[in-house]
Amino acid sequence: MSINRSRRFRLIGALLAPIIALTACGSSGSEASTGSTGSTASSTGTLKLWHYEGANSAMGIAWDKAIEIFKTEHPGVTVDFERKAFEQIQQNAGMILSSDEGPDVMEYNKGNATAGLLASQGLLTDLTAAATEKGWDTKLSASLQTTVKYDDKGVMGTGNWYGVPNYGEYVMVYYNKDLFAKYGVTVPTTLAEFTAAMDTFVANGVTPIGMSGAEYPAGQLYYELALSQADRSFVNNYQLYQNAVDFTADPIKYGVDTFDAWVKAGYISSESASLKAEDTGTAFQAGKNPMIVSGSWWYGRFTDEISTFDWGTFLFPGNTLNAGSSGNIWVVPTASKNKELAEDFIDITMRPEIQNLIGNNGGVPVAADAGAITSPKNKELIDNFNAINAADGLAFYPDWPVPGYYDVLVSGFQSLINQSKSPTDVIGAISEPYATGVESIKAG
Amino acid sequence: MSTVLTTARDVQSAGDVTPAGPVRRPRSRGTYWLFLIPGTVLFLLIIGGPLVYNIYLSFTKWSGVGDPRWRGLDNYSRLLGDTVFWTSFKNSVAMIVAMVVVPTVVGLILSSLLFDYLGCRFGAFAVNVLRGVFYLPQVLPVVVAGIVWGWILRPDGTFNALLESIGLSGFTQDWLGNPNTALPVVMLVMVWVQIGYPVVIFMSAMQRVDPELYEAAELDGAGWWARFRAITLPQIRPETFVVALTCTVAALKVFGPIYALTRGGPENATNVPSYFSYATFFKKLDVSYGSAIATVLTLIIVLVAVVFMKLQARSEKAA
Repeated sequence: MSINRSRRFRLIGALLAPIIALTACGSSGSEASTGSTGSTASSTGTLKLWHYEGANSAMGIAWDKAIEIFKTEHPGVTVDFERKAFEQIQQNAGMILSSDEGPDVMEYNKGNATAGLLASQGLLTDLTAAATEKGWDTKLSASLQTTVKYDDKGVMGTGNWYGVPNYGEYVMVYYNKDLFAKYGVTVPTTLAEFTAAMDTFVANGVTPIGMSGAEYPAGQLYYELALSQADRSFVNNYQLYQNAVDFTADPIKYGVDTFDAWVKAGYISSESASLKAEDTGTAFQAGKNPMIVSGSWWYGRFTDEISTFDWGTFLFPGNTLNAGSSGNIWVVPTASKNKELAEDFIDITMRPEIQNLIGNNGGVPVAADAGAITSPKNKELIDNFNAINAADGLAFYPDWPVPGYYDVLVSGFQSLINQSKSPTDVIGAISEPYATGVESIKAG
Repeated sequence: MSTVLTTARDVQSAGDVTPAGPVRRPRSRGTYWLFLIPGTVLFLLIIGGPLVYNIYLSFTKWSGVGDPRWRGLDNYSRLLGDTVFWTSFKNSVAMIVAMVVVPTVVGLILSSLLFDYLGCRFGAFAVNVLRGVFYLPQVLPVVVAGIVWGWILRPDGTFNALLESIGLSGFTQDWLGNPNTALPVVMLVMVWVQIGYPVVIFMSAMQRVDPELYEAAELDGAGWWARFRAITLPQIRPETFVVALTCTVAALKVFGPIYALTRGGPENATNVPSYFSYATFFKKLDVSYGSAIATVLTLIIVLVAVVFMKLQARSEKAA
């Protein structure tokens, strides 16, 4: 970093300091580590660690245990942990990491617009050597490794390692077994069976799929539909910009057209444009919709909170590719004074005992011992993930390619839910920002 | 004690020099600048510095990390062709109607009715209760109010249930999800939020109007409307300017209710410049373009404020 840039960031840091202090929700930060580096790094000092997982979530529980183990194995090291809010880190990450006040190890979002952006600006430590040395490269599948490698422009898929994921996530169909039994519907295994099942619900006055147009579920359903007609080359073109993507042709055209057809057929409520993801989840929990198409992040909550009916999951019928990816990743800021301690901590989170804790608390570990997962429901969740993973079936998320594309998709699919635009118009509305964004990323 | 001594000494001293003049010359004016230092420092730190930096960023290309690259007027020429930008400013006009025009007009009539009519007939207690009721939405955190309104207006919310219960199920719909209804509904919510502010200001303004004016008018046979037009309106003109100015600024930079109710959707039907700037800056990480939007918004707000203040000054001079 040039001196001018350093000074500028210090100025920004000074200007933002009161704001950051006011919004900080974790414990107050302590002084940066005075610990040494190199061979003595693991004996003394302070490891400053930030993440934004809830204390009772699978990751929160597992990482608490990892901190405990770390402290035992590094008795001279103090762990200064701060639980941040996701937005707090995301919106200030660039500036915080440019200052001396950043953490030594931090959870961060994977993807071009987040970790990729930081990596391309030299704000994250290259973990390639550590990945080989500690064996992370053999524990993570190729799909999972896509989201930890970034090239010099911050585009994921190739280049050096800049992060390590502990968990995965994927989109599936959650279904209400009681409603399936009531209407004589069986779990579909093909798209044709899926639409037939939905016809049965519609004929009985039940809207089959819970939807929320104001947030991600609409975009994820569209992407699942598009993926039903796609292969890995489409994912590589769409997500990694290997070749241009024609939005007026399948699989994107199929995804948009079918989403529109499903609204017209009553599979999705035309009065769901203003609803949020939380509304979809609570409606499913209340037994209002027999199915929702959403991510594994609901799994633990449904396990805890649904007691009035029996529920289960199945993968989107007929799809080999599914929306999903590694979870958020551990990154080590370049400014960290304790890189070795940070790597030690990350390594602990990859151990079977921590991975099994994630699995036994409703998360999807990336390197768990399947035999150690005790709950049958959790085992089903992990087995499905492993099946997708083994088939190289993680296709990431539709809003990943371009910063701000999430809002474009939300707006586009709200139009289809409202039936205020034709599928052709929506294709136009979502293709232009994609093309502009990709062009901008490629230009650096 | 010390005051008496000082005064005696000063009087004596003054008598020696200029008996008819001031007791002592005030201290150098330079001293007073010391009192401005805290405010100036805070202004520069919290407003001045970030504003200048924001303007600088609007001439660059920057994603929030790394070095901003100078791009001249690129962001501003992009703004001119951006339909979302123009939509957001069109929606700002709607917000001015909902947060300035309607609350000011309705607030004037309501406060006059409360002060001049209901106060006389039902007493101060009834007026205070009604004033409190009107002001309540102003006390509620705007995001809380927005979330509650969001619940009420959901497709399966209270409002649709109410319509169904009175046999109007044909009118039920996704009020905040339909681009045709979302903006009018948000405007109504904003009228509800805003109405208490002018009512309270105007009522306190009316208390300083000489009651003899009303009594004389009544003796001359003037009704409520005539008194309202001829006495109330001209007398409380300064407060009307203040309400109009502060509400216009609030309408131009409205953010919280939009964030809580619609996030600018559906299909940008309720997007406003401040939310558009926020989303561009923080969600799209297009920091420089977000800064350009914020700069334009700031310029417009400053311009509006200057125009209002000039109008007010001219009006006061004429009065």
